[in-house]
Amino acid sequence: MTSKDFWYNSTVAVIGGGSWGTVLAHLLSRNCRSVRIWLRDESQVRQFNSTRVQSRYIPHVQLDQKVSATSSMNHVLEGGVSAVFWVLPSSACRLRARDLAPFMKGDEIVLHATKGIEGGTMKRISEILIEELPTRRVGVVSGPNLAHEIASGEPAATVVASEFAEVCHAGEILLRGPQFLVSTQTDLVGVEWAGTLKNILAIAAGALDGLGLGWNSRAMLITLGLNEMVRFGTAMGAQVQTFLGLAGIGDLLATCGSPKSRNYRVGFRLARGERLEKIIEELGSTAEGVGTTEHVWKFASARGISMPITEGVYRLTHEGKSAGDVLKDLIQRW
Amino acid sequence: MGDQEQLKSNPLTPGDRFPVGERTVQIEPGPLTRFQAIRPQILKRVSERTFENFTDSSLDILLGEALYSERLRMSRDRWNPFTRSRMQGDRKLWNEVQRGLLQPAAEVDRKDLLRQVIDHYAEEMGGFFDPAVYELAIHAVPWGFSWMLNAASVRRFLPWGMTESLRSRIRILGHIPELQKLAERGTILLVPTHQSNLDSLLVGYVIYLMSLPPFAYGAGLNLFSNPILSFFMRRLGAYTVDRNKTNSIYKQTLKNYSTQILKEGIHSIFFPGGGRARSGAIESHLKLGLLGTGLEAQIEAMMEARPKSKVFVVPMVVSYHYVLEARSLIDNYLGDAGKHRFIPARDESWQIRKVFGFFWKLFASQSNVTVRVGRALDIFGNFVDEEGNSVGPQGLKMDPARWLTSEGELKKNLQRDHEYTHELGLRLADRFHKENTVLTSHLVAFAYFETLRAKYPDFDLFRFLRLSLPQRTLPWVDFLEAAERFRLQLIQLAQKGELYLSEELQNSEDIKSWVRDGIRQLGLCHDTPVMRVSEQTVWTEDMNLLYYYRNRLAGYGLSRLAELSGRNNHFGQNDLQGFLV
Repeated sequence: MTSKDFWYNSTVAVIGGGSWGTVLAHLLSRNCRSVRIWLRDESQVRQFNSTRVQSRYIPHVQLDQKVSATSSMNHVLEGGVSAVFWVLPSSACRLRARDLAPFMKGDEIVLHATKGIEGGTMKRISEILIEELPTRRVGVVSGPNLAHEIASGEPAATVVASEFAEVCHAGEILLRGPQFLVSTQTDLVGVEWAGTLKNILAIAAGALDGLGLGWNSRAMLITLGLNEMVRFGTAMGAQVQTFLGLAGIGDLLATCGSPKSRNYRVGFRLARGERLEKIIEELGSTAEGVGTTEHVWKFASARGISMPITEGVYRLTHEGKSAGDVLKDLIQRW
Repeated sequence: MGDQEQLKSNPLTPGDRFPVGERTVQIEPGPLTRFQAIRPQILKRVSERTFENFTDSSLDILLGEALYSERLRMSRDRWNPFTRSRMQGDRKLWNEVQRGLLQPAAEVDRKDLLRQVIDHYAEEMGGFFDPAVYELAIHAVPWGFSWMLNAASVRRFLPWGMTESLRSRIRILGHIPELQKLAERGTILLVPTHQSNLDSLLVGYVIYLMSLPPFAYGAGLNLFSNPILSFFMRRLGAYTVDRNKTNSIYKQTLKNYSTQILKEGIHSIFFPGGGRARSGAIESHLKLGLLGTGLEAQIEAMMEARPKSKVFVVPMVVSYHYVLEARSLIDNYLGDAGKHRFIPARDESWQIRKVFGFFWKLFASQSNVTVRVGRALDIFGNFVDEEGNSVGPQGLKMDPARWLTSEGELKKNLQRDHEYTHELGLRLADRFHKENTVLTSHLVAFAYFETLRAKYPDFDLFRFLRLSLPQRTLPWVDFLEAAERFRLQLIQLAQKGELYLSEELQNSEDIKSWVRDGIRQLGLCHDTPVMRVSEQTVWTEDMNLLYYYRNRLAGYGLSRLAELSGRNNHFGQNDLQGFLV
């Protein structure tokens, strides 16, 4: 049996049914025997199982019959699955991992698609999963992947990274689609940090647009912001090249230019003078960048890593400064 | 289960000594005792495996490279009358290989040459085990030491006279009952920290004291150049490891040897730091090549469905107040900032007078050596319980066979296994730090060094080590205060399970008493004391040695300066000024 045969005949679990989780399940359903998706909400489970549509986040995607939903961690892994895709907000990762752990066997590979970190400990999601799950074969899926565009079948590319070649290999086989390219690499640390840090810049990009500024200022933000990402990332053990790839600059460009990105919307509306609490409430789903900004800025400033843009975003999101003032400060200080 | 709880349920509290009376348990003869019977078979299998490993290689290049590095080694190696025949054997072999390689491949089969080389290596590596010699060694060696101990110790003037014994000077702490149980449930891979050539003897004796069957161990080939040591080690299951042989044929043969004996269920010891720690610090970069043989042996044993297929990795941390070879090691470390791998073959540990002096001082000064047996790990670096089950998050029991299953099949996977071993190495380095027992002398050296360093924050390492005598003198009172501050910090770390403290440090009521004890014991075996005290001042005689002993507490984030200087500080690395963090 070749490894393609193995994976095409496998059962795969997706933990988390937000828009990206649902689209991942959709992509996966083309390359394996069955997909089980875990949703928190029992009523959503019932609705999904009758319609195969995740109406709350991504109503226009009709999923295959192979995909079924459950709200029980036990059922989602019942009979053994070969791969687990982890798509939960960073704040829920540790506790949900603890719920899932007793049902895992240890031969599953785990790929997560969460672009955030654990506050306080500054641990990456893969680190949390390794601590809480009885496995070490963990990797990440990241890249310029706006869920809505992929759902409509537009061409896109993603990165699967893991220290384990078999995890990368499985990710490649399971995710590859006619319009969906998968590249693999080993710099897990870099890919995770790139995905996390770009959310800070997405808020900044939204704020620039909210101020009505044009392409010159956005280009400035992206270029200088990428420098900040590299500075911080390498300090955390990432490799520079990773930031020049899909998971770095690629993801950054997509998020900074797309009004569909939640972090971008947070920045945009903050610049228009709305209050953060209200925006988050109305967004209805997580904007990872807000928490990330605080954790990263505090960590970096305590260690003397220069991150002026992150500092600016922190002033905007957490100290209630106006976007105009933040920008003025930044430009004066340069 | 937390570490602390574990210790409470353990009959030995952390400060207690392992109750080593006469051995009451009659050891079941371990697999090593039947080693003689299976030796030819093991060596044959090792040769075959190694040969198979190279079937796809270009043999001309492989042999050519080996020939080159061996010629280089032989020109550098020193020999004594005792090792001469080995040297001649080497020369003969490589001359033949050279002649063979000069002939066309059609006339001289490269495979034959490779086979010759591998057989030669395997034979050199392979140890023997002679139960009679084992008994002799175990009884004669302590007897000799006991005699010396009682001659040296002041207690001989006491009425009860000859009561001291060697074992009273060795404190064995930690997870001993667990180790004893695990030894019956699988194969033990004991991995001690390595500071001194005396470690090999000490660890062997500690194993005996713990009522464990004899272990096989990899001992540096240079240890075999002493005829008496060699006689014993050869017959006690030691196999030779020559770190000067760097060619891939040798390394592969060595790995296969280790895998093969582990697979046979023979408990083994090796020093994963790959030689003595030259900086004096606890090992943080471990050699993965040999470490990985545990995993390989376990997979193979599982695939062949052998009983007791599990391999348990047990860390052991040895704490000395003084290390015989400290000077050579630190000079070598500083001399080339850690790049050069060769340690001068003849250092203090080869001078009979020094070795004798070491033990004499050990006994005369009421000093002792502390050995801590760490919690056992599985081959992935997870903890295992007494029954040998791997324990995961939330105390979940995990099945190693699943971890070794890829795409539905229990099989080897080179990349995966390497990654597992890499992680095992990291976890083991972490365990070494956590299972370390800090002695008074370690803390004195660290506190003094760091207090002094705070006075010269801009100096880099080498400038700092050259401080003049007045510069490296501190007021006694200031030093006492700083030392106590560090002790309190260490107590906090100990409560968090980051390290252990010796009895003296734990229960000291009087600052002066533990500090004086530390100063007295620190580097006792050297010609001059490392630190001296007058009425009001304290100073160091030797900055390099002080740095060596100070490094034992590197890696815990205790140095405030190290904390400040930024983010690149992972243990085992140097900070921007060159100090070990």
